[in-house]
Amino acid sequence: MAIAGESFKSRASSALSDASLQTSIAGLKSGFVAARARAVAALPEFEAMRDAGAAIKDHTLAHLDVYLERYEREVVRQGGKVHWARDAEEARRIIREICAAAGARTVVKGKSMVSEEIDLNAALEADGLEVVESDAGEYIVQLAGEAPSHIVMPTIHKTTDDVADLFEDRHRAYGFMDRAKSAAELIGQVRTILREKYFAADVGITGANFLVAETGSNIIVTNEGNGDLTSTLARVHIVTAGIEKVVPTLNDASVLLRLLARSALGMEVTSYMTLSTGPRRADDLDGPEEYHVVLIDNGRTEMLGGAFQSMLRCIRCGACMNHCPVYLSVGGHSYGWVYPGPMGAVLTPMIAGHEKAKELPHACTLNGRCQQVCPVKIPLPDLLRRLRHQQWEQGFIDATTRWGISAWAWLAQRPKLYRAATGLAIPVLAWLGRSSGRFRSLPLASGWTAGRDMPAPQGETFHAQWARRARQK
Amino acid sequence: MSASGREAVLARIKAALGNRLLTEAEAASIEKRMKSPPVGPRPGISGEAIEQFIAKAKGNLFTVERVVSLQLLVPAVKRLLEGVDGIPDISVAPALSHLGWPTDWDINVGPGRRIEPISVTPALAGIAETGSVILLSSSASPTSLNFLPDVHVVVLRASDIVGFAEDVWARLRSENVDWPRTVNIISGPSRTADVGGIVVRPAHGPKAVHIVLVDD
Repeated sequence: MAIAGESFKSRASSALSDASLQTSIAGLKSGFVAARARAVAALPEFEAMRDAGAAIKDHTLAHLDVYLERYEREVVRQGGKVHWARDAEEARRIIREICAAAGARTVVKGKSMVSEEIDLNAALEADGLEVVESDAGEYIVQLAGEAPSHIVMPTIHKTTDDVADLFEDRHRAYGFMDRAKSAAELIGQVRTILREKYFAADVGITGANFLVAETGSNIIVTNEGNGDLTSTLARVHIVTAGIEKVVPTLNDASVLLRLLARSALGMEVTSYMTLSTGPRRADDLDGPEEYHVVLIDNGRTEMLGGAFQSMLRCIRCGACMNHCPVYLSVGGHSYGWVYPGPMGAVLTPMIAGHEKAKELPHACTLNGRCQQVCPVKIPLPDLLRRLRHQQWEQGFIDATTRWGISAWAWLAQRPKLYRAATGLAIPVLAWLGRSSGRFRSLPLASGWTAGRDMPAPQGETFHAQWARRARQK
Repeated sequence: MSASGREAVLARIKAALGNRLLTEAEAASIEKRMKSPPVGPRPGISGEAIEQFIAKAKGNLFTVERVVSLQLLVPAVKRLLEGVDGIPDISVAPALSHLGWPTDWDINVGPGRRIEPISVTPALAGIAETGSVILLSSSASPTSLNFLPDVHVVVLRASDIVGFAEDVWARLRSENVDWPRTVNIISGPSRTADVGGIVVRPAHGPKAVHIVLVDD
């Protein structure tokens, strides 16, 4: 999908005043955060698993070429094809060519974040293909013409009523004339409609949570079973995957699967974990006739071998956003692209470029909760700090901010002058605010005071208090 | 051309990693890691594997029924169908088609259909850690039968219950089987929470999974 044009700040402002969105996010906070905490508390081995998961990813990334070539060899041995795409454009072209060669009309898709990243649906639709998302959440956002707002729960921003309105309007075409009210009825409609689509599909496209070099398999993890029907019933199965998805062996995948379900949903396992390997065998009674894997770089090799390599450990569980105070205030759409929250604030500038995502590394309080819950121990706050530094070096910070920060840095590096200046400013502010004890507005701080009052200082500076208490001891 | 894409992406990876050739020791260690994969940290299993399997499977909202012989599978399915009007219409995996199914039933021995009330398929193994069943695709067990039915009956031998998924991978490696197109690890009925965060069963797959555990 294309990167949204307007700024993070303006999207975040409208998100904060969106009552329905705020209700939905509150549920995320109470539900998934608590569920993850319970799942982790029930498992004394969790810390050791995080270390093992990070080590597996680091080892694989250090030999990424070796493992990708082994993976490719196994896929080919099983009768599949591997395609390599340098960027989004090349990935789209490869997939369009596979669809054209198959004479495809209908494409059903399982959930794949990388297919969102390469804006695949629009490209296929431009070729005249019918493209249907099969994950219930992805189906809903596709029908609404929206983007997912969470990488695991795409519809976290929508209430049941929102979905009922949407289906009442759009499902008449399928003969559902009455408004469905309950979640169960609404999902029942999706099940009925999609059942026909699976059987009609020429091409089924799924993502991959992992690629296994040992067997040449892709692994998908779902609760709905949509990915399985997509990859089993279509004539052609195409897997889209970032190059960082490969792991050496089934045992390595097993370690990461334990971390994934707990970190994403607070559950020990999901209903379905499926390994697909090559096309149907000669005597199989079902399964696709063709199996293609499209390995996508799209900026990943620029993270490899450098300061941002640890970001390539990411297994897309969404725990960082579920625990992020900024994400939990403004929701996923504020981030403007496919990947929201802390992982998105790193990935978006790395994949799409600093100029397209200038504000994202700043949409962070550096509180560190994301790093604490990350199942593969990605130092997200450090990466965000590093991105801020890069932006400064590369001149992406606007002149006013640069001037302000430079002036503050100049002052802060001169302790005597700093103390003199604050020693003067504090009593003046205290005197100015003496009547109400707070300020409704302050020059240069209107952004801060727009939402709340600034308390007036009550006495001495911190430095002065510290020095006085030290003397008293 | 994807061929040029391949060379370009691999060249980028090698360059990012410093264009370093593997030392002999590194190559040997990777080879060893692939041949005998290390096992990572795992949760403990409390008590007998079979007892934990049953407890965890029930926690996953499977129903579990123990029978003493595979010959009791057909009566078990008959009981499931009690109260269903009309002639039973079920799908049976070819691996289980020889078990003496009633001749007056409609029995589909083959891949799944659009409308699929009930299917019966064999499991390769059960995993005690998570109460999951593992099913492999083959000419005797089409994958679509695991996802299209409203009710999925899984037949599992008690002796095929192991502690962990890694035990199943080790078994498959040692038996040197032709790797199947599909390996399904199933740990519950189909579900979703994508509308209003409310859990709904089923989403696209079975609304109920019944495990017939055969003691042998």
